[in-house]
Amino acid sequence: MARLRDQLVSFIAALRAAGVRISVAESIDAMNAVAAVGLERERMHEALAAALIKDEADRAIFDESFNRFFAAPRANRGEHPDQRGEQVSAAGGRGRPGEDPFSLPRDAALASPREEKSLSLPSEAKPAKKAAAARRHDTEKGKDAEESKDAERHSDRMRGRWERGEAQTREESPTPGIDATRVARIRAIERTAFDKFSDLDYDEARDALAPLIRRFRIRLGRRLRLARTGRIDFRRTIRAALQRGGALIDLKFRARRPRHVDLIILADISGSVRYAAQLMLELMAGARGCFRRVSSFVYVDHLAEADFEDGHLVMTPALDLYARSDFGRVLGELWERRTGLLTRAAIVVIMGDGRNNRLPARADLVREIGRACRAVVWLNPEDPARWGTGDSAIKQYAREVNALVPSRNLRELQVALAAIA
Amino acid sequence: MLTREQISDGLERARYVTNERVETAIFLALALEKPLLIEGPAGAGKTEVAKVLAEILHTELIRLQCYEGLDEARALYEWNYQKQLLRMQAGEQQGLRWEELSEHIFSRDYLLERPLLKAITAPSRVVLLIDEIDKADEEFEAFLLELLSDFQISVPELGTLKAHERPVVILTSNRARELSEALRRRCLHLFIDFPGTEQERKIIELKVPELDAKLAAEAARFVSAIRKLGLRKPPSIAETLDWALALVRLGVRELDTDAVRTALGVLLKHEDDRVKVESKASALAPRRR
Repeated sequence: MARLRDQLVSFIAALRAAGVRISVAESIDAMNAVAAVGLERERMHEALAAALIKDEADRAIFDESFNRFFAAPRANRGEHPDQRGEQVSAAGGRGRPGEDPFSLPRDAALASPREEKSLSLPSEAKPAKKAAAARRHDTEKGKDAEESKDAERHSDRMRGRWERGEAQTREESPTPGIDATRVARIRAIERTAFDKFSDLDYDEARDALAPLIRRFRIRLGRRLRLARTGRIDFRRTIRAALQRGGALIDLKFRARRPRHVDLIILADISGSVRYAAQLMLELMAGARGCFRRVSSFVYVDHLAEADFEDGHLVMTPALDLYARSDFGRVLGELWERRTGLLTRAAIVVIMGDGRNNRLPARADLVREIGRACRAVVWLNPEDPARWGTGDSAIKQYAREVNALVPSRNLRELQVALAAIA
Repeated sequence: MLTREQISDGLERARYVTNERVETAIFLALALEKPLLIEGPAGAGKTEVAKVLAEILHTELIRLQCYEGLDEARALYEWNYQKQLLRMQAGEQQGLRWEELSEHIFSRDYLLERPLLKAITAPSRVVLLIDEIDKADEEFEAFLLELLSDFQISVPELGTLKAHERPVVILTSNRARELSEALRRRCLHLFIDFPGTEQERKIIELKVPELDAKLAAEAARFVSAIRKLGLRKPPSIAETLDWALALVRLGVRELDTDAVRTALGVLLKHEDDRVKVESKASALAPRRR
């Protein structure tokens, strides 16, 4: 059974590489679970799922990895239980010829920027690579290595995505009613960095946005709900005290009045940042009900009001997308229209990379805005390693804002936006 | 210790139609003695699992319904203040000293046992159902974690109470909010979604035997179809069964557009949903001559 145990360990490592978070306790549970149910494939499949997969969204990745690691036995082999057990452990780890053991790190935030990741076990390469290529992680590799591998990765990605799609349609989904392909695609899109987006990715992201908007709205709704305690409600407290013979043991509080929060969004729609900006505007439009008022603006070198009509961004006045970014001037324009807009109830969210073509940054205006409003938050879709390089004025702005959060992909963006409230 | 077959038979006897995934999860929850977290849309049968499991194990079901603001006192135990105050007043008149009095008023008689304490102090193994844990807040989850790992609590006046036999714990969640990772790690996971057409047909046949087989199949197909329409509240299994029963009572022979229109209120509980389905009713259940 040591072989099976090693096999399970590799399988769990492959799942971790694909982004599923599995703790040591859970992996032990998985071993115990397999010991309890036996080696019959279907049961082992469900047992491992119950012990390892705690989020239904990970189920698709699990199924795919399981089917690769523990390939279904051939029909013409004998049905003897011992033989079946042999097949399960023998089938795992079979690598396809011609594949290089290349894998992307699971959590890029943890990896150091210059570290080159490579796998030791070739048996892990296949599921990890397929899963990783399909997931399209962004990495923190050195720039040269990145450029040379970029082209290779892109074609791998395309191939991986196509093959993964095929694999999904080949396997029937384990439970009726869940679209496993779609879930896996949504997850992949969430993890792709914005600066690696192509138009194709953007369209997919927009398609994937509907469930994300819903999920985001629920998360945001819970955050913004009434604070539990306000002032003491004297009458109810006395009432409760009657039960205790007059002793004021239970304090009852008034529910606080709902927070009126206005949201002001400033999104940079130049160059590669524009995908991130548009997705953010769509996400926020979906969560519109949580705020009293949402004012959306986009900018390149001027400020323009933004609206989403039929899924298209409409700007008033229309901006030249290829003009040179001038955030300083944009800040000036915003400051001019501050009456009624920038109030103590307003939170200003700026999405941009802070690159100003060496024009005046006007960070002082950001400070003024911060004073007038409740908070100013900056979301930067650029890789943090590049902040402050070249014409990036982000460091100056960073001093004046309440929070500067990287949002390199859809997932980070959601987390950042939810944390704002 | 139950075997898989016993669980399978037990589920069948309790008339709970299910699949491999649910059976395995239940089996593992019993075999590994870990709590089982069941997630899924409302009305898919999550709470049923706990009830059925209590039947299979021939034991009691203790239910803790979670809600926003649920705290330790309501979930674990509370002292019966009123009774204690009365006793103290009576004791004053009798002239008792504090030492004697405190022995009385801090005894088990004056303790109001709430579900969690009941589960711990139960003489035999029970099934503890913690329903809709996603409605409770994070502090409660943290408290629950501590309880689930040790199954003992210390009441300052009474000492430590430890469970004789660990209860079988089932938690359900409608995914209204994300549960903490720590809780997920501690539990086995099971996702129960709405059944497919075939399974639903079996459920209808099992629970509403008066409905004839052909009509049951059509009903199952109809409900599966409307679930895909993106309704505000997709019909749950309970509502499907109510609707099937309604069809029996109304003496419906075959599922045509009129039959559908009459009883739609049993299936759909929102006006906009009803309007949406009615407009599609002719496509889903063709008008027969």
